[in-house]
Amino acid sequence: MRNIYILLLLGCLATNAGAQISYDRIRRSDTEPGNWLTYSGNYQSHRFSPLTEINRQNVARLKPAWVYQIRQPGLIETSPIVVDGVMYITEPPSTVTALDVHTGRSLWTFTPTVPRDVKALGFPPVNRGVAVLGDSVFVGTLDAHFIALDAKSGAVRWNVVVADNKLGYSITSAPLALDGKLIIGVAGAEAGIRGFIDAYEPESGRRVWRTYTVPNPGEPGSETWGGESWKTGGGSTWLTGSFDPELNLLYWGIGNPAPDWNGDERPGDNLYTCSLLALNPADGKIKWHFQFTPHDVHDWDANQIPVLFDATINGRSRKLVAMANRNAFYYVLDRQTGEFLHAAPYAKQTWADGIDPKGRPIVRRGVEPSTEGTLVYPSLQGAANWFSPSYSPQTKLFYQAVREMGSYYFKGEAEYTPGEYFMAGGERALNGDDAFGAVRALEATTGQLKWEFKIQSPPWAGVLSTAGGLLFGGTDEGNFFALDAETGKPLWDFQVGAAIRANPVSFAIGGKQYVAISGGNALFVFALNP
Amino acid sequence: MVTRRAALCAGVLAVVFCIQASAWARQNTVEQGKKLFEGMCARCHGFDGTGSEGPPLNRPNLERAADDRGLRDVIQNGIPARGMPRTRQLSDNELRYLMAYVRSLGRVASTPHPGSAANGSATYNKLGCASCHVITGQGGTLGPELTSIGTLRAPDHLKRALTEPNSALPRGLLTVPGRGYSEYLPVRVVTDDGREVRGIRVNEDSFTIQLRDTSNKFQSFRKSDLRQLDKQFGTSLMPSYKDRLSASELDDLVAYLLSLRGAK
Repeated sequence: MRNIYILLLLGCLATNAGAQISYDRIRRSDTEPGNWLTYSGNYQSHRFSPLTEINRQNVARLKPAWVYQIRQPGLIETSPIVVDGVMYITEPPSTVTALDVHTGRSLWTFTPTVPRDVKALGFPPVNRGVAVLGDSVFVGTLDAHFIALDAKSGAVRWNVVVADNKLGYSITSAPLALDGKLIIGVAGAEAGIRGFIDAYEPESGRRVWRTYTVPNPGEPGSETWGGESWKTGGGSTWLTGSFDPELNLLYWGIGNPAPDWNGDERPGDNLYTCSLLALNPADGKIKWHFQFTPHDVHDWDANQIPVLFDATINGRSRKLVAMANRNAFYYVLDRQTGEFLHAAPYAKQTWADGIDPKGRPIVRRGVEPSTEGTLVYPSLQGAANWFSPSYSPQTKLFYQAVREMGSYYFKGEAEYTPGEYFMAGGERALNGDDAFGAVRALEATTGQLKWEFKIQSPPWAGVLSTAGGLLFGGTDEGNFFALDAETGKPLWDFQVGAAIRANPVSFAIGGKQYVAISGGNALFVFALNP
Repeated sequence: MVTRRAALCAGVLAVVFCIQASAWARQNTVEQGKKLFEGMCARCHGFDGTGSEGPPLNRPNLERAADDRGLRDVIQNGIPARGMPRTRQLSDNELRYLMAYVRSLGRVASTPHPGSAANGSATYNKLGCASCHVITGQGGTLGPELTSIGTLRAPDHLKRALTEPNSALPRGLLTVPGRGYSEYLPVRVVTDDGREVRGIRVNEDSFTIQLRDTSNKFQSFRKSDLRQLDKQFGTSLMPSYKDRLSASELDDLVAYLLSLRGAK
């Protein structure tokens, strides 16, 4: 009898040991392609799967393996995490569910108490996913709490308040788990919050540091804000960033200034809004910054995914970070120094005559929002948005789902009331047959177009590239599809029945490869038909 | 005495000033509202609120906006079922301006549309409009349903739709395929095996298109199976009645269409 207990105990220990998601495992995620351990697949945010079972030759045989229907209707933007046979997803607004990867049957569900009058100002009540570290799962909630759960049961380990939701602070993005730290950002610029990036201790939920994205008076960058405007300056941090373990630098895109469409009360460049920040994860100190859109008045935040890769430019090997920015330009920077190297438009834009040698846009006259409306490309939602790009180390291409759409931008009155909209204007988009979408493959070092695949309307779905030579993407009309990653030729598609507004991931169970995407109110998992 | 008279004068002046100031403020509020209206609303409701693709607002009573609360609700939330989008986020002031302007439109007398709805109904039947349009459940489906057309469109727009149909195409906001896609878009496809089909687009995604063909049958195609896919933007299947109707017949027909205000 005693032996049985010992065996059980040993068994438990062995299972638990297997479930430990160390920093080292995430750092080397490319060596275990059967799992998907962090939001973008790896710290470099490649959203690339090294799996090859599904490939150009056989992708036509891809069929649904199982479907999970979410319990509470709403927009499902989750990017699943897959660890040792368990998939962790989020359901709107802030529910976490663990699923059996073989069947899609749920193992546990945790629903935080989100108040009925929760404020989600400027975005739908969504959540884009969790982070895992050790034997815990971490989620940020719509009412700006940060919660740690036991990965085996969903039991709460800690629950801390990140910021006051009554002022418009909210969390929709997946946290990023580093070595002994969890990084999380906030949404809320449309309510005039003052943005920040936070780091927390995984064991206790204790906050280790906070770096404001709008500097205090007297700090560097504070001279780029007029009067008291910094207090309600925006600069949200609502999308998961990237990390370079060797340089020990964290890269995070920063949101738009507030109020969005009327910049009169905030003269200056408004640092660090619409910028990319490189931070030291130990203390949150800003190592360098690069601002894509100084004094933005079109809501072109930089909450897109910074993608890290190395390449040779002008005969010199360089560590790079690239971003297909919401403002329709593709940027390549040196990720060690922040030096601007290159920019090129990757979508129609009518607001700049180009980017100067220092990386600053040469803004055209007459593109500011107005009472009667000013037509500008790209639209308020940008040429890119939160949906993920992908970088394939095989093709060296940067893949981006692109929104080709213009908007009439309106300028309105700016009136700050705590916890209310603080946007001062709006847009009327040129949509329908006047707009379209595309998946574009760009030369990663130059942004030059290699190929494009046109899609019906501007998309809200990210892309995934695989070592099987495929690129997966989705449309607002419900098509989930695979293209040849080299040529853009369509090879397979499936109608999921509602808009796809999520990022695909891939994983394997016992050597069998799966691809997962959310669409409508369900999560679809595909595998090859035998 | 002098002082008293001066005080009286000052008082009268102050009252006059106050009245003028409040009139000026009201005028200014309406002017501000007009600017907002021209930016956000005029495209559908016409520059002076006389309507176009959207209904005229120069009427003393707006069914959906009988009181200020109703008007506020329509402006802030739109009327999704009728394709009216909500406006951008407005400040309280902006909302007040816009409401003041919309209300001012109703105070200007509008001329009633000439023509006889009864005669128009006869013309509708004579022209065979029902072969393509449904009214209270009866008719063909190649063109838009007209059961409530009188609440949705302004007289000038209807006149244009009859005489220059290509310049008064329904834009569509919310119905399938939705979000501003051209509705009733004529499409011609030629399949890889040479079959030609003409019809109206019913739905479309990146890989497929669904049509209602001229014999009222649904047809579905994978785009990769088509040799040609010709979307005829800017054209309507509806013929022009410019040369087939006299001015008074046209007025009668428009009067009839305006009388269609929903199923009884």
